Amino acid sequence: MCMGLVSSLVRLVLSPQFFGPIVFPGLVTVLAVLLSIIWVERKIAARVQMRVGPLYILRPLGGAIQMLADGLRFFFQEFIVPETVDRVPFLLAPVVAMSFAMLPFAFVPLAPNFKPYTVPYSMPAFLGLNTVIPLTVLAMAWGSNNKFSIQGGIREAYMTIAYEAVLFISAYSMALLYHTLDFAEMVEAQKVPGILLNPISALVFFIAMIMSAGKLPFDIVEGEQEIVAGPFTEYSGIAFGLTMGIGYVQLYGFTLAFTLMYLSGWEPLVAPLYSIYPALGGILLFVKAYLLLVFIVFLRAVYGRYRLDQALRIGWRTLFPLAIVSVFLSIALGVIGVV
Amino acid sequence: MFRGKVRRHVEAIATGLKYLVKPNRITVYYPEEAIVLSERYRGMIHYDWDKCISCGLCAMICPADAMKMYRKKGEKKARPGINYQRCIFCGYCVDICPTNALSFTRVHDVAFEKLDEMLYPPEKFTSEWRSPAEERGARRLRVVFDEERGLKHVPEQ
Repeated sequence: MCMGLVSSLVRLVLSPQFFGPIVFPGLVTVLAVLLSIIWVERKIAARVQMRVGPLYILRPLGGAIQMLADGLRFFFQEFIVPETVDRVPFLLAPVVAMSFAMLPFAFVPLAPNFKPYTVPYSMPAFLGLNTVIPLTVLAMAWGSNNKFSIQGGIREAYMTIAYEAVLFISAYSMALLYHTLDFAEMVEAQKVPGILLNPISALVFFIAMIMSAGKLPFDIVEGEQEIVAGPFTEYSGIAFGLTMGIGYVQLYGFTLAFTLMYLSGWEPLVAPLYSIYPALGGILLFVKAYLLLVFIVFLRAVYGRYRLDQALRIGWRTLFPLAIVSVFLSIALGVIGVV
Repeated sequence: MFRGKVRRHVEAIATGLKYLVKPNRITVYYPEEAIVLSERYRGMIHYDWDKCISCGLCAMICPADAMKMYRKKGEKKARPGINYQRCIFCGYCVDICPTNALSFTRVHDVAFEKLDEMLYPPEKFTSEWRSPAEERGARRLRVVFDEERGLKHVPEQ
């Protein structure tokens, strides 16, 4: 009886439906990535800017568990709910946003025949779920009843229309190229990495995903030098921790999608690990995505922040035409029969 | 124009990568290492009780109203006291003091727990200043010019 329970539990944990969203690359891995990438970001920025960066918490490793300490602080900090806020959206929006940042992981395939949620439209589903987050940010901005929050919300609305169309068009151009809307089939279709087949689409998707996650140089919505923390101004304690984490979780999801679409995903497959357990075959996918993530946080140290109008100009005048060009390039490549 | 833009992006990223691979740190590990400041550094002010002639020039010149003359009941002489909440470390009081009773120390890294502690009446004003980092045994570093790097920190001999 007990053995039966244990074995069924193990089977449940190891089933793609559970393992994908909860363990790898979902919840547990997301937390590990969050804890590590913020430290990596601060350390890289410090090195480029001739400083030391976080140091004292676990000094032998250069302050590697700094984020664990910060996270604990968020937990025990008082969560203040101001009297003038609209309580329902104010309290609900960060939770909904985090949920919708986590949900796309259900559509990320890890290895051949290892999909958490089998659907022939995993790419549009992935992108579609991410489009809910700007709406929750608007809800936060409105519910906070604060002038900085409202300004941040307006910026989010502007930014959304600048990057969303571009993000979708560049992603769909790859779908045209591979003749499929499924991530797993896209990886199988890539004899040559997609970034070499359609570099324009890769570039546009790369920039649009940084815009979407609101990371530097496009952290216009938060704009801490001008509008405190934008839509997240009134949040404190663990809710602020959530709002801070959303961008990183979103970015991590996008880097996985980028790897699947442009960097040939888990290929070359690590066969010994795959034969032990299929999800372990996704280790290369994770490594590629993580390196991409490190590169993106490195860009923070290089670029200054774009102004809102500059970001919109890039979105509409440069990226949008480039995205259209990438669609035609994909069609041309498809007609020739490259893939 | 387009090529120029691309080139500038590549150059910026290359510069960032250069510093990432070969960091050029200009800060020091402060509480363990402390930079030796120059002789003329304007830190906390020290007051010499015996040299003071109670002229009051320091209180008169102080642009921030930090310096004030205190007189005890029954005493003829008034003596200066300082309020570090207001002091802007301009150094006018030290410059104008005719007997050099006021002098700058090289200590700047002190912290106060309460606002009241920043008030230094004449008796307290004579106290010696010590840098907490150096009291904890910080290594003393001196800033020197370096042909390649610009500025460099070397241990003081």
